[in-house]
Amino acid sequence: MSSSKFEEVVNKIISDSPPGELREIYDDLIKITSESSKNTILDAIENYNVQNCIPIDVDGNSIIISKYNKEGSKFFDPVHSVIFSVDHLGHRGLDIEPYEFTHPKLDKEQLKRLHDQFREYLAQNFPGDVSFAVYPVPEEPSKISIIIVSTKYNPNNFWNGHWKSSYIYDLDTKELTGHISTQVHYYEDGNVSFQSGKAIGQNNVVDVVSTIRDVETSFENELDFSFSDLNEKQFKALRRRLPVTRSKINWGKAIGSYRLGKNAAEGK
Amino acid sequence: MSDTQFDAALDILRRLNPTTLQENLKNLIELQPNLAQDLLSSVDVPLSVQKDPTHSHREYLCCDYDRDIDSFRSPWSNTYFPELSPEDLLDSPFPSAPLREMEILANDSFDVYRDLYYEGGISSVYLWDLNEDDFDGHDFAGVVLFKKNQSDHSNWDSIHVFEVTASPSTPGSFDYRVTTTIILHLDKPKNDQDSHMMLSGNLTRQTEKGIAVDMSRPLDVISTSHVANLGSLIEDIESQMRNLLETVYFEKTRDIFHQTKNAAIASSAEEANKGAHAEIIKGLQSL
Repeated sequence: MSSSKFEEVVNKIISDSPPGELREIYDDLIKITSESSKNTILDAIENYNVQNCIPIDVDGNSIIISKYNKEGSKFFDPVHSVIFSVDHLGHRGLDIEPYEFTHPKLDKEQLKRLHDQFREYLAQNFPGDVSFAVYPVPEEPSKISIIIVSTKYNPNNFWNGHWKSSYIYDLDTKELTGHISTQVHYYEDGNVSFQSGKAIGQNNVVDVVSTIRDVETSFENELDFSFSDLNEKQFKALRRRLPVTRSKINWGKAIGSYRLGKNAAEGK
Repeated sequence: MSDTQFDAALDILRRLNPTTLQENLKNLIELQPNLAQDLLSSVDVPLSVQKDPTHSHREYLCCDYDRDIDSFRSPWSNTYFPELSPEDLLDSPFPSAPLREMEILANDSFDVYRDLYYEGGISSVYLWDLNEDDFDGHDFAGVVLFKKNQSDHSNWDSIHVFEVTASPSTPGSFDYRVTTTIILHLDKPKNDQDSHMMLSGNLTRQTEKGIAVDMSRPLDVISTSHVANLGSLIEDIESQMRNLLETVYFEKTRDIFHQTKNAAIASSAEEANKGAHAEIIKGLQSL
């Protein structure tokens, strides 16, 4: 296989992986290919972590990495004023150094206030391991990026849950756009995946935290409704709990009589 | 290929997005071509449908168990489609004549079952001999398949692979071993709010049961007993699996989702707060 084809296949497998299971997929891929493919796999995982805004443990703080706080090969954290490299497989920050954050529209005080508001909202709504970030959008000083990630991993019971919502808020036009995406993976004697998402767009947003609270609460309520709806309508229409006759089938030579009975009822 | 590689490939497949299973399977085989045969014969993928041109184009289900080269044997006419050349057919697998008799009966019986439980859909049963000689009422294996495709947004595939062998310990008794996989896909049609929701995947369970069969009767009576035993066994398994799927898809996943996001904890915290306030007021009033 050519090296570009190999990279493409590895990237596809990594990008299809559920959050929280990259370590296992990495070990499996090394077994299937060889230790020499290590760097290709690690590059794919680095892309995955940045795209999926995976939280990294930096000196005990959970810091989300994304394209918004990337600087060269490092990432910065405006609140703790540090810049760091990342061990992408171990989800740990390395070579942590001081970093002074400046933003033309958002000073450190405002940023801190926003953080406090978010922290309160998150504590009341996200029972998982929750991380969040407020980052500048490069080249667009009026915009900030807001990211919330909540995870609950339980590999011992074969399931993992993941929530991610990310928004761009324009401080001048007061527009908020973004996307909520959530997934659950259940894999005890099987492989069941639940995925849901919704695009968000709101105008005249003054209180960004309470707007996010509202859209996320309504997303959650809609989801609860959709679960019941899919169960009541689509699932029930696939296979009945009991046969049309309301009792279990009488197997054996005479089973054809069901058909005779049905034909007679339909006047055939 | 080594067992380690095969196990690693299966582990990856149970983790990756189940809606892209076929593509993931293809990619893993690209990475390690030696895995092809074992993976293709052991990983259940959604069943494909073909029509039997000699049987009023009646639909039948295709899987690795009725495949030869790129053709699939129809349970209705016992013929491979697209048709194979006479040379290829010499090596093609067919059940022995007495087992084919049982296969016809099994297809007929499970077709009644399909109608009663699925009210639509397609069923197919394929049997194969486990002995060198023609079937004599003893060991055989097979697969019972159901597919129901309600719309583009919901699909059910049942795959019951089984083996029936004479019990080594109890004379006159047979061990029925069934491995069942149900692949279920449900999604919510996209609405104008640009939101989506999908529940997709598969669950597998194994069941084993010993059942006595009177071997002194004629072969057709013995065959009828085997089909009846398999029928009620698979009827029970499918009912249990249906309950399991309902629990996992609609309760378990929803539960796990709420462990990441749950607005209800906010209201319960408020109530707890109110409760605390009430306590304080009560405390003050009693002073």
